[in-house]
Amino acid sequence: MSKEITIPIGPQHPSLKEPGCFTITLDGEKVVKAVVGVGYNHRGLEKACEARTYIQDLYIIERVCGICSHTHSTAFCQAVEELAGVVIPRRAAYIRVIMAELERLHSHLLWLGIAGHEIGFDTLLMYSWRDREKVLDLLAMLGGNRVNYGINTPGGVRRDLEPQMAEDIKTVLDYIEEQNKYYIHLALSEATLAARLGGIGYLSRDDAIKYGSVGPVSRASGIPDDVRVIDQYAAYDDIPFDAITDDHCDVFGRAVVRVLEIMESIKIIRYALDNMPDSELVAKMPRRIPEGEVISRTEAPRGEDIHYIRANGTDKPDRVHVRAPSEANWHAMAHMLEGDYLADVPIIIAAIDPCYSCTDRAIVLQDSDSGKEKIWDWQGLRQYSIDFYKKRGFDASQIKVAEKKIII
Amino acid sequence: MELEEKVVKTIVERFPSLEEHIKVQRRQRIIIDSLVRKNFEQVFAFLTQEAGFTTFHLIIGVDDGDDLGFVYILSNADNIILMLKQSAPKSNPVIESVCDTFPNALWHERELVDLFGAVVENLPPGPTYPLPDGWPAGNYPLRKEWKVEYFDRETMTYNPPQEDANEEQSTNGGSK
Repeated sequence: MSKEITIPIGPQHPSLKEPGCFTITLDGEKVVKAVVGVGYNHRGLEKACEARTYIQDLYIIERVCGICSHTHSTAFCQAVEELAGVVIPRRAAYIRVIMAELERLHSHLLWLGIAGHEIGFDTLLMYSWRDREKVLDLLAMLGGNRVNYGINTPGGVRRDLEPQMAEDIKTVLDYIEEQNKYYIHLALSEATLAARLGGIGYLSRDDAIKYGSVGPVSRASGIPDDVRVIDQYAAYDDIPFDAITDDHCDVFGRAVVRVLEIMESIKIIRYALDNMPDSELVAKMPRRIPEGEVISRTEAPRGEDIHYIRANGTDKPDRVHVRAPSEANWHAMAHMLEGDYLADVPIIIAAIDPCYSCTDRAIVLQDSDSGKEKIWDWQGLRQYSIDFYKKRGFDASQIKVAEKKIII
Repeated sequence: MELEEKVVKTIVERFPSLEEHIKVQRRQRIIIDSLVRKNFEQVFAFLTQEAGFTTFHLIIGVDDGDDLGFVYILSNADNIILMLKQSAPKSNPVIESVCDTFPNALWHERELVDLFGAVVENLPPGPTYPLPDGWPAGNYPLRKEWKVEYFDRETMTYNPPQEDANEEQSTNGGSK
């Protein structure tokens, strides 16, 4: 008779380079029980928001997640705008959509690389992260940053999109589209990939509903729950696209949904660029937000992102609550792991594209050395990293860096 | 907003006393005023078992002064979001777990325990979430009277000035 053993995986870097602890009970190599432990990143964002104005909160909220920062700031701004009874200018709504879809592109390409890495297919990691860099360059061009773009503000957006920027975006989209066709071909026809991902991390449609899964996880179980379709916001009501679903219900299905969603995002951005109306960028917002409470939803790359704000008539919210998509997707994790092999645990965890900071919600980081605020430009950051490694015996100053112009 | 009005009508037909307390906020949003525990449980059971609100999204804790509020976010097949609320006094903040109906409520309810000091009856056993091990008992950081500036991270102790400490003692209800 076999004997069950229980092992901890994590909290340091269980599959991804973020903290989470999975207590796995094994019978031989089979997982018979899994307990998910998170909470290592909880730093009190919601309390911090209550003590600050809506504008100050925007900067905290944008830093809930480094990968999908725009979706959080959009959900937050939408909630504040609804409370204030303000409708944002149409051009601002289109710019929000373009940023959101670029964010989805880079997030899905990031995931594709991680998924490749977890199954020992590091060539895919290199390919997709190379492509992702080009999307990050676009985001840096539009917002000034690779992450935390600072585009949103209550009432609209802070920066316009110039005609030349639209051309640069289209050039990169053509490239990403060609590359992604190859990834789709790979996902749908490569036998080793199908054998490695098929049938593992199984989550039936009923279980996806029972555990409240969202995003590509639930859509890979056949549930059409894309918030861009079911609770339209920004300019999604104007833009034609297909909400992708799949019925494999496993890690393979989640991969298929994501690579097909990349094509839809490209379609959405192209349409938005060609049909963007001229208008103001920001509507006038009151400083004091009238009393009330609202729920705001957006479709983050990982699924449904919910923000709740209760206003008390002042310039500070009474309560802010964030329910990020990763938080919803953890509930089904133990169920997905049970019955599979230990070797499959990393890819099953990675297949929900978990974001630990989103789950636990983070507070803005501070300079721990000086405690002072400091603004770093691109060159300054680069110099800091060169000096950092030079002290440790590696001189990176001779490495040629591509100019900050998009190069394909 | 025909679908939303239809939902309101269904609820009011079953609970006529809610007529003044339920409103369509906008398209796809319905909100019901706060209910006491007994009424909440009846309405919650009706919504989830008979009225088609079978998707559970989250629970949000709020501080209402002498009471704690709990906002339950549900939706139906037409993607209408419904905000249903219950309140309980801070001196005895007891609510019933909804994990039997919705397993994904588990972490949200644990969060209410840690951050608001709610006492959730029939909450399945397991680790606390999200506060760290060693967090001092009786400290509920999302209650308004809990001030972050009085918390010492090094020693993990809460040290309010004397007058605040007395007030704290009288308002902090159930123990962790």
